[in-house]
Amino acid sequence: MVRLSDLPDYEREHLLAKNLPPLGPPVFSRPSKPLSELRIALITTAGLHFRDDPGFEFTDATFRPIPGEEDAEQLIMSHSSVNFDRSGFIEDVNIVFPIERFRELAAQSVIGSLASVHYSFMGAGLMPAAYEQAASQVAGMLKQDLVDAVFLTPV
Amino acid sequence: MSALSYFLERDGIATTGISLVRENTESMQPPRALWVPFPLGRPLGKPGNSAFQHRVIAAALALLDRAKGPVLEDYPEDAPAVISEAAPACPIAFAKPGGEATGWAAALCKELQALMPWHDLGRRRRRGRTLVGLSANAIQDNIEKMGRLLDDGRLPLDDLAWFKAATEDAKAFYLEALTAQPGEYDQQELENVLWNQTALGAAILKFNKDFKAHPDTATLAVITAPRIAEHPESGS
Repeated sequence: MVRLSDLPDYEREHLLAKNLPPLGPPVFSRPSKPLSELRIALITTAGLHFRDDPGFEFTDATFRPIPGEEDAEQLIMSHSSVNFDRSGFIEDVNIVFPIERFRELAAQSVIGSLASVHYSFMGAGLMPAAYEQAASQVAGMLKQDLVDAVFLTPV
Repeated sequence: MSALSYFLERDGIATTGISLVRENTESMQPPRALWVPFPLGRPLGKPGNSAFQHRVIAAALALLDRAKGPVLEDYPEDAPAVISEAAPACPIAFAKPGGEATGWAAALCKELQALMPWHDLGRRRRRGRTLVGLSANAIQDNIEKMGRLLDDGRLPLDDLAWFKAATEDAKAFYLEALTAQPGEYDQQELENVLWNQTALGAAILKFNKDFKAHPDTATLAVITAPRIAEHPESGS
């Protein structure tokens, strides 16, 4: 997995139905600095949040902030899909949200620094264009935080 | 994920990241993506293996140095396999699933009671970490309520948000209990136990069937049970 050839027909057909065209003309922002100077934020579409945050709705284009200094071990997941493994995330938050790995990279100066705030979306049930407004909002906050690049993880 | 990548990049933020379904990424063409041959739910490949996770991250970060895009690269390394014979044994001998004989509420509450000490053990091993807590109610109350609904032949049509949170909490509780002991677990075997051996799995599949049969909730059935549980002939 996930090699489609390894999947049963019903699963392959379900995933292939999610093939969509590009959202527009190609966009490409090449960082102007080397990796060792980049300030990086993590963004996941795994529907993560803390217990006292509102959970994600069945379809939901909003996002939840994940402050960098918070204990990521306390993150929970309210993703509406039931078709992916959760046992890995139960065992290790980094399998979905690799915050410890990125703290290690920052400590080793492999990257410049980590953002003050990271973000979580819930990717399910909506067409891609539904995320445009929230993504622009997050882009604005990332710029205020002087973030150069984002590392994205699906689930 | 491709959409966020596109919109952020358009706003001047460079992005890189993981693709789990290569065909979807290939069609949407986000600026940079590293396709990984890992299961859905495990974008970094292997829980608890920081060296492996670092290799995946390094490959994705390297894409930031490309002169032009879109870039879709394949990660060459599979996640290390779990030897299922070496996985700790299931701590509970589950009764034949289903609540027809004793009633769903009784069967579910009995099963939950048997899992309690294992969940406590698992939570201690994980230094208190648990995914249970989407629902504001205690898991015992949720389980009993789910059982009563089934016993009464009712669907929670007026409280679907509660139902979703309650079932997610219940599944997390079961997975955390089933993996209480240290060791590596085969995720397909865990799915097999949950959906084919437990009263909880049978109860959620019953809800799934009833949701599908109800005109107001047919489309919501997809958020109750996974496709693999509905196709046991081709699953684990």
